[in-house]
Amino acid sequence: MGQLISALFVMSIGVLGCAVYFYGSNLLLDFCFPTKNRPHLVIARNLRITNTIRPWLFIGPALLALGFYLIFPVFDSLRLSFLDRTGENFIGFDNYRWLFSSAEFFESFKNNMLWLIVVPTAATFLGLVIATMTDRIWWGNIAKSLIFMPMAISFIGASVIWKFIYDFRSGDDAQIGLLNAIVVFFGGEPQAWITMPFWNNFFLMAILIWIQTGFAMVILSAALRGISEETIEAAVLDGANGVQIFFRIMVPQIWGTIAVVWTTITILVLKVFDIVLAMTNGQWNTQVLANQMFDWMFRGGGDSGRGAVIAIIIMVLVIPIMVWNIRRANAEMEGR
Amino acid sequence: MKKSLLSATIALAIGAVSAQTSAQSLIFKPNEDSRFNWASYEALKSTDLSGETVTVFGPWLGDEKASFESVIAYFEEATGAKVNYAGSDSFEQQIVIDTQAGSAPNISIFPQPGLAADLASKNLLTPLDNKTGDWVKENYAAGQSWVDLATFKNKQNEENLYGVFYRADLKSLVWYSPENFADADYEIPETMEELKELTQEIVADGGTPWCIGLGSGAATGWPATDWVEDLLLRTQSPSVYDQWVSNEIKFNDPRVVEAIEDFGWFIRNDDHVDGGSRAVAATDFRDSPKGLFASPPKCYMHRQASFIPAFFPEDTVLGLDADFFYFPSYESKGLGNPVLGGGTMLSITKDSKGARAFMDFIRTPIAHEIWMAQKSFLTAHKGVNIDLYSSESAKKQGEILRYSTTFRFDGSDLMPGKIGAGSFWTGMVDYAGGKDAKTVATEIQNNWDTLK
Amino acid sequence: MVSSANTRSPLTFVVHLTVLFLVVMWTIPTAGLFISSIRDKDQLSVSGWWTALSASEQRLVTRIEIPKDQTMENGVYVIRGNVFTQAGDSSVQQFGYSSLKPQAFEAGTKAQMKRGKTLIVQANGDYVITSPKAFKGRGQRVFYTAEVPPRFTLDNYREVLTSEGLGKSFINSLTVTIPATIIPILMAAFAAYALAWMKFPGRALMVAAVVGLLVVPLQMSLIPLLRSYNVIGEFLGTGSKTYVGIWLAHTAFGLPLAIYLLRNYIAGLPREIIESARVDGASEFDIFRKIILPLSFPALASFSIFQFLWVWNDLLIAMVFLGNNEEQLVLTGRLRELLGSRGGNWEILTASAFITIIVPLCVFIGLQRFLVRGLLSGSVK
Repeated sequence: MGQLISALFVMSIGVLGCAVYFYGSNLLLDFCFPTKNRPHLVIARNLRITNTIRPWLFIGPALLALGFYLIFPVFDSLRLSFLDRTGENFIGFDNYRWLFSSAEFFESFKNNMLWLIVVPTAATFLGLVIATMTDRIWWGNIAKSLIFMPMAISFIGASVIWKFIYDFRSGDDAQIGLLNAIVVFFGGEPQAWITMPFWNNFFLMAILIWIQTGFAMVILSAALRGISEETIEAAVLDGANGVQIFFRIMVPQIWGTIAVVWTTITILVLKVFDIVLAMTNGQWNTQVLANQMFDWMFRGGGDSGRGAVIAIIIMVLVIPIMVWNIRRANAEMEGR
Repeated sequence: MKKSLLSATIALAIGAVSAQTSAQSLIFKPNEDSRFNWASYEALKSTDLSGETVTVFGPWLGDEKASFESVIAYFEEATGAKVNYAGSDSFEQQIVIDTQAGSAPNISIFPQPGLAADLASKNLLTPLDNKTGDWVKENYAAGQSWVDLATFKNKQNEENLYGVFYRADLKSLVWYSPENFADADYEIPETMEELKELTQEIVADGGTPWCIGLGSGAATGWPATDWVEDLLLRTQSPSVYDQWVSNEIKFNDPRVVEAIEDFGWFIRNDDHVDGGSRAVAATDFRDSPKGLFASPPKCYMHRQASFIPAFFPEDTVLGLDADFFYFPSYESKGLGNPVLGGGTMLSITKDSKGARAFMDFIRTPIAHEIWMAQKSFLTAHKGVNIDLYSSESAKKQGEILRYSTTFRFDGSDLMPGKIGAGSFWTGMVDYAGGKDAKTVATEIQNNWDTLK
Repeated sequence: MVSSANTRSPLTFVVHLTVLFLVVMWTIPTAGLFISSIRDKDQLSVSGWWTALSASEQRLVTRIEIPKDQTMENGVYVIRGNVFTQAGDSSVQQFGYSSLKPQAFEAGTKAQMKRGKTLIVQANGDYVITSPKAFKGRGQRVFYTAEVPPRFTLDNYREVLTSEGLGKSFINSLTVTIPATIIPILMAAFAAYALAWMKFPGRALMVAAVVGLLVVPLQMSLIPLLRSYNVIGEFLGTGSKTYVGIWLAHTAFGLPLAIYLLRNYIAGLPREIIESARVDGASEFDIFRKIILPLSFPALASFSIFQFLWVWNDLLIAMVFLGNNEEQLVLTGRLRELLGSRGGNWEILTASAFITIIVPLCVFIGLQRFLVRGLLSGSVK
């Protein structure tokens, strides 16, 4: 109970501190450069001053936070990638050379690529299919809510849930993992799923697909509703069947939204870390870049140089998406 | 305005952290049981540490954590200090994060000297004084070797003693159920040849000889490293072992590969292990001994270190329901009876008066005896009363440890962390999964080469 | 309309079935977790949760304790007792005295053992063992196969909340999550307004930067930030692992999305409202406070749900910036620890996992409407 009270206290001070800054700084600005009940000239001058300063008061904290937490680390990682494991001595391109000669790296790179292909594709496709189908049935909203639900579950929680599904019992013991129970029911041999090289990657991906399909579904479903009835009716009159309507009319119309969903999930996949850490920690050939980087940074004494190199690689992979994202946002702004 | 608020908040944030649970009571009342060395407890009282807080971070959780906290209670009671122990399953990673972030605990409990050596080389550990080294040499069985194991170079390339070993493990043990052996009429093997015969005999009788599990969360694979080390000590001379640990002999040397393949004899045969060889890597090492006690037994033998009884079913009585025999050596090789062991080392990661006092406390007999009298604790400390071991079997292990001739420390714990707590583990998991021993060993060696 | 529904009916039927199948696929994992978490731990570890309602067959061992005073009946020593420690309607099917043949005898039959001893175990668990000589040494092991009725219990939850320290972690998670949700909303709302409606040099560039930062992998930041925290922590004498530190980290990592979403929303508000307020002489701060904030409530709500879920479910940042000690460990961290240390104890894992997901699930189900709206404002144009 004591802990609860002190936690509440700490929380309210943190939140209040932030509120006080915005309120206080703006009041201060208005107090120093009043824009009411003063001669016109003064008001005009003060207005000019406040209008120059105020945007920075508004945007300042966010700018500082972004600069310190996101922009500075990018450059610092770049610097660290040229330093040795202690981050003190310059070693040139040694870390990069190590990286490109390391079998471990190529394995995680390969796995990451697999993730990048499979997860966004599967989640978007399933999302689209479910969105299309749920829109046609009366209990569609309930179905959507249920499929959307895993999005609220943490990766680590989801890992526990799925570990339980993949659980393997040796010999003649009754299987308590659902997957093996089904396999046994149909007369198959139970398997230790997460230790099967190559295929285990897919068992881990299933978890992320399970989580992300709901997200894809919700957004695509809204986009589908935006398609005008007339185009579809016109297609029906032309004699198109359901599948043709879906692929020829509906999909092209929402192509932009599909791309957004796709990239959002892609970015998430690049950062995937918790699932691999909790399920296999990269064993059995399931290593991915994010977990490998964490490993190099913190395991066995740590090597910030090599960790940073892997971080740079992840960054490089992200850049095309970033450019595309900025272009899209710019186009949008101009369109407004 | 903002700054003072911020610091007030920080103070509060920390205040919220130090809201504490109350000290637990002492489980053995001082001066009651005369077998304990109460004098060493009374001596502690001369140090007054009221108001001092010592933070300790280590790998112990569950029962082990409870036992260690019961030891800590005596320190708190005697000195007035407050000790916070935190255990973590991902200790190996977390301690690196913590020390680098400058938020290290006062004392860290290293299961791997290799990891500690790494931190020492970055000047993240505080050296202990020479007196401590001399004391360990005198008061520990095979004292010099315990000192050497805790002596590392710092950044300036100076050698110092950085830690004191507190709890030892004996690895060369095979656990079994005496009654199951009696039911099936099996005898305890005295040589490796006999052990292999017994393995085949059990298979011929329709049973499963071994329960082996390599799973251990983020550390999956380590139980296999102990197997390989034990078998290397049984097929090659101790000097080969030493050179292997320091990489003067390569990991993919035929002698090492042979030991890995010898391990393969046990696990790569579906009849030899419970669940077949593919279950080995997927089974948690804490779960796997439970097969010994299942009905009907899933297996007859389980090779694991002395700590494993902590994971036996709740009411298991050591010496009755479960017992162990020495993991025997090859009669044909004539290498004597080597013993593989391990241990946890306490080091100061953030110096303070309390930390120093705690390190002194760890050297007292009473700190060892309190845990000895509970369960799963061995020590090389010569000043403790062996009668306090909680069971005959613990006593037997204590004696093996105390009178061992060829004693070798767990090699994977001495290798660089990235190998001993990384590639070696992964490599063994791959080997259990069906990869070729030579390939696995070469991969490990390649990784080792990139560290140089 | 009616006629078209009729012509489609076979197809609609297939759609119903497919959706039903998918819904079942998506809910079964969570349902299995929940059902398992309220099962008796001995049953949980031997039978699948889908059999929770039927009796489970368990193979058990017990040891007959030899009493100090042994009684003689009809010239033989006799010990009586019951194999079940827990009263209930369990029943013994078979029993045996050797580990080799644990199911050798049907309940109620007499087993002839070595040295003239006999053993009978009844279906209700009562046993009688007799011996011509006094019992000595170790008590006999009795192997029995029992049919145990389904048992549900809240013990698993009781255990994890008390002895596994989950209760404390729950509070820690709240302490981290609430400020880390509110602070970025405040910051982002102000910034978004400035980026949408105020004129200042470099605005376009900043919008582009925010969009770019959306995709920066935060793993990148860990080492540099940890080093900086170290220096700052030393300077303030607080150490680097504080709640303030993690709030700010979460704030910053959540900001790009928050600014992006809110800017999109705020920029879409009608220009006339803001212009007319300006003409009336209201200061920008007043416009923001009195007009923008109330109007953008849906977007604020949607982002806060996002951020709440994200922070609550985060493991990485908590592992690095808050530390792993007993006092500060958050729920996800605790769950990861349990996965490692209690790997095989499914009763602990399932109950803990359910506790960690219950809060986000409630938030999610309760506020789904806002979340969806916010998602859409960011993605669909």
